[in-house]
Amino acid sequence: MKTRFLFPYWCKFLGVGLFLVHLPVMLLKKQLGFEGAPEGTSIFNSNHLFFMITTLTMLSGLVLIAFSKERIEDEQITQLRMDSLQLAIYLNYIVLIISLAFTNKNDFWDIMRLNMWVPLMFFILLFRWKLYRNNRFTKEDEI
Amino acid sequence: MKNNIRVERAIKNITQADLADLIGVSRQTINTIESNRYVPSTVLALKIARVFEKPVEEIFMLDDKD
Repeated sequence: MKTRFLFPYWCKFLGVGLFLVHLPVMLLKKQLGFEGAPEGTSIFNSNHLFFMITTLTMLSGLVLIAFSKERIEDEQITQLRMDSLQLAIYLNYIVLIISLAFTNKNDFWDIMRLNMWVPLMFFILLFRWKLYRNNRFTKEDEI
Repeated sequence: MKNNIRVERAIKNITQADLADLIGVSRQTINTIESNRYVPSTVLALKIARVFEKPVEEIFMLDDKD
């Protein structure tokens, strides 16, 4: 089965690596209180660069985890992937609509920042859960 | 859609894993097809039929819900 637009299998591990590298850096950022660039300064100041590096590391990690091939990538996996992606997008927009409806304008930026990685996270979790359930059914039905 | 892959496998004496290897899919896929949880594509159905050397209609058949 030919699948398009997917990274090779090993990219998944690279993705996990990038995501794990980002976590301590992100905690450090919280500790030191970097919070984006101050108003009116050039776009390439140190705070902004730090934000860019941590965010880009996390996002590329998540994209690689989400869109790498499985060890055996067959048509059923493709089906599960599509189902999970659809569910994740639905779920994301439900959460987004609810959060926009019940917050004021000041929180908009935070919601959008969360929205940067939440759909990918929903997708990864749903897809992994579906794969796990699939494997469990197979094990129960062992011949 | 119903199928009798389980019976055909027993006749040919091959496991789910053997069949999966022969047609290049995972064992889970064969398992879900056998238990009617997944409907294979035409290509996959034809590949399965080729392994058992029978026409597709003898392995896969429509049921009342289809």
